[in-house]
Amino acid sequence: MAKKVAANAVALVVALFFAFPTYWMVTSALKPRVDMLTSGYDLVPFSVTGANFATAWNKAGFLDSLANSLLVTLSAVLAALVVGLLAAVALSRMRFRGRKGFVMVMLVAQMAPFEALLIPIFLMMRDLDLLDRLPVLTLVYFAVTLPFCAWTLRGFVNGIPLELEEAAMVDGCGRWGAFRRVTLPLLGPGLVATSVFAFVTAWNEFLYALSLVNDQAKQTLPVWLSSFQSQFGTDWGGAMAASALFTLPVLVFFLIVQRKMVTGVTAGAVKG
Amino acid sequence: MTAVDTTDAAVPTTPSSAPRRAARPDGAPRRRGSAFDRVLPYLLLAPAVVAILWLIGWPVLSVLVTSFRRLNLRELTRGQVVWTGFDNYAQILGDPGFWTIALRTVVFTALVVAASVVAGLLIALLMRQVNPVVRIALQVAMLLAWAMPLVAATTVYQWIFDQQYGILNKTLVKVGFDGFAGFSWFSTGTSTLGVIGLLIVWQAVPFLAFSLYAGVIGIPKDQYEAAGMDGASAWQTFRAVTWPELRPLMTMVTFLSLLWDFKVFAQIWAMRKGGPDGGSTTLPVYQYLEGISQSHFGVAAAVSVVMVLLLALLTFQYLRRLVGSQEGAL
Repeated sequence: MAKKVAANAVALVVALFFAFPTYWMVTSALKPRVDMLTSGYDLVPFSVTGANFATAWNKAGFLDSLANSLLVTLSAVLAALVVGLLAAVALSRMRFRGRKGFVMVMLVAQMAPFEALLIPIFLMMRDLDLLDRLPVLTLVYFAVTLPFCAWTLRGFVNGIPLELEEAAMVDGCGRWGAFRRVTLPLLGPGLVATSVFAFVTAWNEFLYALSLVNDQAKQTLPVWLSSFQSQFGTDWGGAMAASALFTLPVLVFFLIVQRKMVTGVTAGAVKG
Repeated sequence: MTAVDTTDAAVPTTPSSAPRRAARPDGAPRRRGSAFDRVLPYLLLAPAVVAILWLIGWPVLSVLVTSFRRLNLRELTRGQVVWTGFDNYAQILGDPGFWTIALRTVVFTALVVAASVVAGLLIALLMRQVNPVVRIALQVAMLLAWAMPLVAATTVYQWIFDQQYGILNKTLVKVGFDGFAGFSWFSTGTSTLGVIGLLIVWQAVPFLAFSLYAGVIGIPKDQYEAAGMDGASAWQTFRAVTWPELRPLMTMVTFLSLLWDFKVFAQIWAMRKGGPDGGSTTLPVYQYLEGISQSHFGVAAAVSVVMVLLLALLTFQYLRRLVGSQEGAL
């Protein structure tokens, strides 16, 4: 019994450790500037204001970089999902010469050390005259997430019995009709889980965003946020509000698909 | 967008015009497929394969080739191709500064991976022992940490560790450690890396703990009951029941953590740009500084190749087994 109590106590301490930075981010963002810069000890905010959020929202570059991030991330994820799904269907549902080879290509591509490909990709994009233009990031994030999407979706397609499609075809559906009416709806959760992972990867990406885009008007949120502090070193309230706004979309996605995330990532990373 | 559009254009407009005849998709030759059926899988695969070869395959070859060239801004603007053999490698490997950075990267990665995997395992085991309400609280807390974008988390950590107004120093002073008033956590490379390491562990543990917890609850209950009847101690039960069941999963998450933590860039760069005085510079940061900041593309490519070789060395055993098992399972 005492053991059980101790385990619960330890678990709560661990929970505090994980939750604290989020708590501190949100409460700091809500604090008036004066309260943040006193040496008083204020674990709980004494008074609350929306001023920091207004500052962050109106700060030069925030809305631009938010829009840039959304545009780049969503287009890359959409492209990776469509292209990945086509490949997944071929690899999972069809038997053809060289299939094993293609499966191997997807598997190996997933392990591509993208951080180590910075130089050739930088040079390639420079030759294509794509530096400093947003599509360059769409292209890179598409390539980063594609092998994972194809691989994970292949797992999800494998999980849907072929007999269901065959039954629909017996009932008079064409092959495409059977796929669209039977398999595609069942793939919904898999598509969502896969896209969330791809979204988070692209949403977080920093090295390529920093290297391939110099133009401040075309920065993504991570790069904007990292320069926010050096420019306005003392405005921690604004930085916390911006961080909170940056976190919100990911948090919402995570809460929706939390359980699927682990299966999706683990399946994609290793399992066949 | 252009390039994505190009690949999209190569996609066969999804086979709405597919033949009505139900060719068996698994290709069992009960009925001979039409020519279209035979090329269909290749058409479906084409966009993905083209993209992978172009954006991953070609850069992989190219980084190798570039590492044997002298390629600075001058050569780049003039379009010169200057082969220098192993000069770039000789240059970086002959630089003691490089070895410091390489060693620091390996040690840092090893410590962060070990810490996060052990913490993940302990939390996974802990989650089985606690009340449902406590478990949910713990899971929500971890979800919050997991969901925070890397650079946002880095910003929050910098605020917590802020020299003057950071809550950590304030707390330490409050509980009696007066020496921490105005203490700078970023004055040396080691303590900067310590903060970054804590940040990485904090962000990595949720995924590890959730994955391992999924493994823990998958262990059949009767095995524990049998161990209980045999009078096994907690440690013996762990050794005899839990560990053998979890080992494949542990190997996998360790491998993934190695891959992820070795190439960490965002947190290190956003925290102190590899400073103070290069004290928290790791190989990815070094690669960025050489390649993008100073336009020594040949040298940076050589750094990339060394990075991959080091990582391959670290994960060699697991890679070998993985490829072996996949060949059977394809």
